[in-house]
Amino acid sequence: MAPELISSYTPPSLSRRRLLQLLGGAAAAGTLAACGGDGGSSSAGDTLKVIGVGDQEAGLRKALDDYKSAHSDFDFNLSFAPADQVQTALRTQLAGGNAPDLHVVYPGNGSAMSMAQLAKANLLADLSDQSWTQKIPAGFAGAFKNDGKTYIFSPGSSMLGAIYNKKAFASAGVEPPATWSELLSVCDKLKKKGIVPIALGAQTPWVTQLIDYALVPGTVYAKTPDFDDKMIAGSATFADSGWADAMDKYLELQKKGFFNDNPNGTTYEQATSMVGTGKAAMAVQVSAVLPAFREASSSPDDLGMFPFPATDVAADNWIPGGVVVGIAVSAKGKKTEQAKKFIEYCGQPETVNAWAEAVACVPLYSEGDPKVDPVLQPFLPYLKDNKAVPFMDQRWPNAEVQPTHFAVVQELLGGKTTVQDALKKMDEAYRKTA
Amino acid sequence: MTAVTAPPAAPVAPPGKPGRRRKGSGGITPPWLFAAPALLVYALVMLYPSIAGAGSAFTDWSGVGEQRSFTGLANFRELVHDDQALGALRNTLLLTLAIVVVQNGIGLLLALGVHTTIKSRMILRVIFFAPVVVSPVMVSFLWKYVYNPAPDAGLNAALNAIGLGALRQDWLGNPSLAIWSVAFTVIWQCAGYSMVIFLAGLEGVPAELHESAMVDGAGTIARFRHITWPLLAPAVTINVMLSTVGGLTLFTQIIAMTNGGPGYATDTLSTVLYKQAFVYGKFGYSTAVALVLALFVAAVSFIQIGYLRSRETTA
Repeated sequence: MAPELISSYTPPSLSRRRLLQLLGGAAAAGTLAACGGDGGSSSAGDTLKVIGVGDQEAGLRKALDDYKSAHSDFDFNLSFAPADQVQTALRTQLAGGNAPDLHVVYPGNGSAMSMAQLAKANLLADLSDQSWTQKIPAGFAGAFKNDGKTYIFSPGSSMLGAIYNKKAFASAGVEPPATWSELLSVCDKLKKKGIVPIALGAQTPWVTQLIDYALVPGTVYAKTPDFDDKMIAGSATFADSGWADAMDKYLELQKKGFFNDNPNGTTYEQATSMVGTGKAAMAVQVSAVLPAFREASSSPDDLGMFPFPATDVAADNWIPGGVVVGIAVSAKGKKTEQAKKFIEYCGQPETVNAWAEAVACVPLYSEGDPKVDPVLQPFLPYLKDNKAVPFMDQRWPNAEVQPTHFAVVQELLGGKTTVQDALKKMDEAYRKTA
Repeated sequence: MTAVTAPPAAPVAPPGKPGRRRKGSGGITPPWLFAAPALLVYALVMLYPSIAGAGSAFTDWSGVGEQRSFTGLANFRELVHDDQALGALRNTLLLTLAIVVVQNGIGLLLALGVHTTIKSRMILRVIFFAPVVVSPVMVSFLWKYVYNPAPDAGLNAALNAIGLGALRQDWLGNPSLAIWSVAFTVIWQCAGYSMVIFLAGLEGVPAELHESAMVDGAGTIARFRHITWPLLAPAVTINVMLSTVGGLTLFTQIIAMTNGGPGYATDTLSTVLYKQAFVYGKFGYSTAVALVLALFVAAVSFIQIGYLRSRETTA
């Protein structure tokens, strides 16, 4: 049957020349259509292209809107992506020479999208001649500068501590603790009341690091303030430091049942919702995510923050306070000068204050009394007493230590490794070249 | 006596003008001019970037900027001693094995089930194939919801409702279980794809053979073993090949469901090369992993197709 069908089939008459004509026509039509698309969006050529990360949206959008209303010739095209996608999409654009004029950059070093890594690749414009850069506090210089030049604007510093549900605390009759023993006692009372003491969404990789970050200022930096310098010099290791104490305490909280069940299977969003609704009493988090927690709660006033105590000696309980994610000007962008002018505007005290307020952080600097979110008040004395330590990764030498930290914490919570092996893996990652 | 009918004449040469499109008896000369536009696009978007990218495997490029230096085989030497990559290789092989065996097994059973005269067979075919047309990212998020570790949510709640509360698990958070949870999701989505290919194979099995065998007293299992299974050999080849390549290069479901975690428990070679490039900023090393993965997939496919084709011939 089949051969008969084939032999009786006569293809329609279509000469090779006609076929090529058709193909050529289709190609021309495609080209014309593409030209039409470009022509229709001519205004895009005058627009500043900006890519930010979700955490900074409230502040960055407000700054851009305010700048636009003051400058009639200014327009912007703003898009946001979650942190993980920023790593992929933006790095691909940077590699392809197709960078946006302004884009998100993480302060210091330690991640593939950090200021130091991108500055080393000559991808960021130097901002050192702008007046606001003179007001960067000396302790934050490493977050803003590489080889003495400033490459990033950030509105200030975020505090890391426990975001807690006041109603949950009140129902168990407890107050924010000031020492490690008090914390354990508070957690115990909350647990007996049927409330999850600490919500932990460790399936979201970046959340895994936060409890360690909250504890090591007390277990490491209060005793060895120059720990980072010693690590760089090779005279200290994670495994032989207070990091081991911090990780032991992290696991102690798990062993005592103070986390929600299955933290490795719980996401950041689920943990946020648990605290917002009062199912859990607290979560160790950065103040920059307070807006998300407030959105999850019935009233923003239900939530407060306190420094997460690491030791039983109140004087040793330092806090982590890191410069929040910022923006930088692409050195390869088409509107570098225009983008720099916007950054200069961001550096003015009013804009710094407004942006900082929008993302619940302490302003980079202020003229007069800074406007600080009231829930951050418990942290201010630590800043005043120089008991704040930048987020640990901001001085790590390469982008491999931080994801290794995420992975080993998940392994610890899953019972697949020991504290010593986990810290050895972090030491190995630290010693790899940048 | 009935005269034996003479056999039909030998088939005539196939139609078509001999000479112009034929080169001796060696085969058909490709219509190059016709294929040129497609080849040009393929060369520009596939071949050139692949070859240009492969060069990065011998450098220490970070993925951004212009600084890079030639490092010879250093990236490949590092790969041999990289615990994360070796763990990922183990995970990749385990996942592939599970997917190839279970997905094709279920696909075959589904195909046999809907290749019957039951009235609802068309609806069942649509239902079983439906997950295939959904985006893998959407399927992953759907199953992430199903795998919610809370005792009163998703799969755990369903288990509790039917009195199997003791089987509740942290499906994606338990390092020993997570890889199998991901494998189940992939199998759930892709079994319908295998089913369709097996179904096409089953449609080609002549009914006369089954009828003759039934007359000879062959039962269902004997008919499947001696008639259906040998004649399904081409469908088996295609399904095993596709699921093997799919398993070895699995990426989307892992990134969307576990991001390779907890720890490194569900990392595959694909997620490792992604993380090396975009998280660790080691594009050169990532390309070396990609190159090894590509050669590995090609070698496995080559061996597999050689074996399965010979099986088809024997069948």
